[in-house]
Amino acid sequence: MLARFNNFPKLLKGDWCIVLVSLGLVVVSFLTLWSHQPAATLRVRVGSTVLGEYSLMQTKLLTVSGSAGKATIEIQQGKVRFKHSPCHNQYCVHQGWLTHAHQAAICIPNQISIELMGASPAFDTLNY
Amino acid sequence: MRYYILLFAFFTQVSCTPLDPLYHSQSYVFGTLVDISIYGEEESEAQLMSSQITREFQNIHNRLHAWKPSELNGINKTFADNRPKLIEPDIVQIIEDATKLSIQSEGLFNPAIGKLIQAWGFQRDEFTAVLPDQLTLDALLAEQPKMTDIVINGHQIISNNPHVKLDLGGYAKGYALDAGMKILREFQVKHALINIGGNVIALGKHGENPWTIGIQHPRKPDAIATIALESGWAIGTSGDYQRFFIHDGKRYCHIIDPRTGQPAQGTQSVTVLIPPSPNAGVLSDVASKPIFISALDEKAAFAKKMDVSHVLVIQEDGQILATPSMQKRLQWLDQEAKQRVGTLQ
Repeated sequence: MLARFNNFPKLLKGDWCIVLVSLGLVVVSFLTLWSHQPAATLRVRVGSTVLGEYSLMQTKLLTVSGSAGKATIEIQQGKVRFKHSPCHNQYCVHQGWLTHAHQAAICIPNQISIELMGASPAFDTLNY
Repeated sequence: MRYYILLFAFFTQVSCTPLDPLYHSQSYVFGTLVDISIYGEEESEAQLMSSQITREFQNIHNRLHAWKPSELNGINKTFADNRPKLIEPDIVQIIEDATKLSIQSEGLFNPAIGKLIQAWGFQRDEFTAVLPDQLTLDALLAEQPKMTDIVINGHQIISNNPHVKLDLGGYAKGYALDAGMKILREFQVKHALINIGGNVIALGKHGENPWTIGIQHPRKPDAIATIALESGWAIGTSGDYQRFFIHDGKRYCHIIDPRTGQPAQGTQSVTVLIPPSPNAGVLSDVASKPIFISALDEKAAFAKKMDVSHVLVIQEDGQILATPSMQKRLQWLDQEAKQRVGTLQ
């Protein structure tokens, strides 16, 4: 087995370049993609039930009926937000656009949550 | 050789996700979001347990509600009328425990100030911004409602001060976490995670690894750090970013300083990590309050008074402070915050 490796030609400058560039790419991709994965799917829940999952790669207005009334959720090519909500304090609307995987906005009075899905969440639940 | 390296580079980026027997449910109790995760059980079983726990939470919420008809409100009425009342044994325990914690916090955790909380408009499902005038606040402060005004004799309760109005908003969610853990243990569940409005308690693990909790950044829509929450541990945060209103550019949060009658100022969030104990949930809810309310130079002393060694403090001026034991547990996601963290001691 070792003999096989010994038969490999000696690495030239160009080979080392590829080694370094590849490792660099791994590190850069890890830092950019891992911590801020772009999201592809939106999950909407009303109360304890999942209303549906929607692609983020579209422009669409969803009207969702919660316990306090009708809310409008806006999907716009890779991002999503509560556009209108019948709740009093409008925290969900003020939260603005969600763009990265595992970001979520919850309208507690209206019991509607929107959550961006991604490959592997960085954590199981959020302390706030 | 170059192909081997490229392949290596490719595989290090691919993470395999094994089949994850994780059940997750979401509901709304205590005017907030309740998340229950159960790992490694049949889905039908997990669903049954989770709905039993949610029912228990709803029951606790109904009994301890501060501004709708409830057992707690019945007690408040008899306090106001200066009459004695017979109460259930578990309510006796709750009030005795809350009194003990109130004394421990030198009154900074004071569930007797329901009238003050009401004056600020926070005793509503969807509160309205209210700025009470100073005369009203002075009058309410002069009434000096304290937990030690309450006298319990067997199952009979009475207050020496008719102005005591109990609001267990800073206690009930933690109490429910402990009740939830008890149910999980009765069902012999090995791995679960309960989150009530941000207060979290862990049982067992998520597969091979401990449950991982994200800690919300008080001013950004992302987590600032994560923490591995081992079995039996609980985590709680008091923050000025969940229930608050802004008037004339000033932020008023729902945590009232019982000494001044004003919403606590200067702190964005205080997070505490509590080791396993039968009341870890209660402590995760209660212990962060006195640390949040107290001034920066008193925070370490109040953490000691509350017997909490894992504390993270984020101040309004951007200072981030953590006790040495908390620093060891935190995995920072926000690199800028990581650079700035100082020691709370």
